[in-house]
Amino acid sequence: MDLAPAGTPAGGEIGRGWTVSRAAGAVRWLRRQRLAFLIAAGILLLHVGVALTGPVWAPYPPDELLVGDPFKSPSREHLFGTDNFGRDVFSRVVYGERTVLSLSLTAAGLAVVAGSALGLLMAYVRGWLDEVVMRGVDVVLTIPPLILSLLILGGVGASYPVIIATVAFFFAARVATVIRAAALDVVSEDFVTAARLRGESAASIARRELLPNVTSSMLVEFSLRTGYSVLFIAGLSFLGFGSAPPTPDWGLMINEGRSYISSSPWLVLGPSLALASLVVALSLFTDGISDALGLSPFRRAKA
Amino acid sequence: MRYISRLVLPRLGLSLGTLLAVSLMIFWAVELLPGDTATRVLGREATPERVQDLREQLNLDRSAPERYGIWLAGFVQGDWGESLVSKRPVTDVVLPRLENTLLLAGLTLVIYVPLSLILGIGLALLRESRIAPFLSAVVVAGTALPEFVVGLLLLLVFAVWLPWFPPLALVDDAETLPQLLQTLTLPAVTLAVAITAYAVLMMQASLVSVLESDYVRMATLKGLSRRRVVLRHALPNALGPALRVTVLNIAFIIGGIVTVEVVFNFPGLGRLFIDSIRILDTPVIEAIALILAGIYVLLNLGADVATGALNPRLRAAAR
Repeated sequence: MDLAPAGTPAGGEIGRGWTVSRAAGAVRWLRRQRLAFLIAAGILLLHVGVALTGPVWAPYPPDELLVGDPFKSPSREHLFGTDNFGRDVFSRVVYGERTVLSLSLTAAGLAVVAGSALGLLMAYVRGWLDEVVMRGVDVVLTIPPLILSLLILGGVGASYPVIIATVAFFFAARVATVIRAAALDVVSEDFVTAARLRGESAASIARRELLPNVTSSMLVEFSLRTGYSVLFIAGLSFLGFGSAPPTPDWGLMINEGRSYISSSPWLVLGPSLALASLVVALSLFTDGISDALGLSPFRRAKA
Repeated sequence: MRYISRLVLPRLGLSLGTLLAVSLMIFWAVELLPGDTATRVLGREATPERVQDLREQLNLDRSAPERYGIWLAGFVQGDWGESLVSKRPVTDVVLPRLENTLLLAGLTLVIYVPLSLILGIGLALLRESRIAPFLSAVVVAGTALPEFVVGLLLLLVFAVWLPWFPPLALVDDAETLPQLLQTLTLPAVTLAVAITAYAVLMMQASLVSVLESDYVRMATLKGLSRRRVVLRHALPNALGPALRVTVLNIAFIIGGIVTVEVVFNFPGLGRLFIDSIRILDTPVIEAIALILAGIYVLLNLGADVATGALNPRLRAAAR
């Protein structure tokens, strides 16, 4: 990885950049082995591994009915028991990993790309454009995301592209404010002025001078927004505005299983364990990398 | 006064603008609901005349901007229309549910405020101890857990395995105060867990920076007791950020309340909202969405104004 990208004067530590000394600090921090971070990273690796390889080794197909009797409690053949249709809950949880991770990674990725582009644009151009866009962003920030998302999904139907677009829209506004603030820190630096005087275009300045200095913020935002996306999309599925049955999706499985919670709690506990371990690991991981990159922890009220 | 004119008025204007934008989005989203409203209400077998009558009654033949104007003007004047399903005025359907939801939110705050104060102070004081990283990991985990998972776990433990609380929060059937509290406890605790964790993190961060400041060291060197230093000197300065988080947290409850009400079958505004979207009862959907969004926007405004009022630097900047 090129740790001192073009446009960053060698050796100097400017703003929040990915400079050599910053990277060395991150490595030093990791050596100190913050236990919580390492455990979180391990759990995340496990989740990604399950998403990539799960379908190869999952004991049963996720939709196959009556692979065992309905409502069997967890056993060696069925680690998380079976559900009301006699489907293997463990296999469904394993397959569900792909649904959950692909949806939330896409939504978070889109939000970070769109939000960062907007944030960089505002920071560089300033003036009335910044003013107008920032007002728009403020409006989006004061809209309750869940209420509006439910309305939109109820209106146009809960298909994956709509879910991803809705979540990305609300999160992009939050990313934009963070990236704009980070970019404003460097926009008045001499090397940006120098680039402007050299006659470089706005797009090239944004890409070559500003972007490298907000990369760590973007990284943290991506990690943070992925966690929030998992939470948000699982909530939508739980409320019946996400994946449709019989898709293996944790939020949906928890909702389907909750009618049987007194007699067969494993229907809820299996997917809950998967969901909880993923979001908690993501949150500790975000904390860890923002610490390691020397950014203040990004803790704000839930979206 | 300068503070009000420089900081509060622009924010107020922005909030009103936001509310207008939200009402437009709500109206637009409701327009997207599948099917013709009149046909949906009357069923497929309805005669064309009856459908036409209802279309006129609901102003469906007018253009969308006209209907938006009529709807918004009616809403502001307290005429929220009639439920398409139960045929009762929307106010009669919505307001009792709003009351229940406010009750739940109130009890959540009663649990949340002392809990977050105690945990926040405790964590800040223990910051150099060995268990500190473990404790903050637990708190971070608390912020990350989805509220329906927390709710269902509480339900499983305290309603199914230990039959201390009813599994369904049928608050309308509660007759005495103890009964009422019993039905409200589990949903309120669920909501409180989520928001307490955030407040604790914020308070801990601001308390730690205050505790390490010179004036607190001075107070300690003067020989004041630890307790006096923390409670009288450090805490007041750490409360500002915590207050802001609290107001934003109440705003967060608005979203969380929908999920928690579904988990506990609580007859509140959130569950009515979900049910109304399912049965496409548009006037009810619009009313609830606008009420919830309105509360959310006002609380955000409150958070900004309170932060400004508590922060001398911002106040000075407005002069």
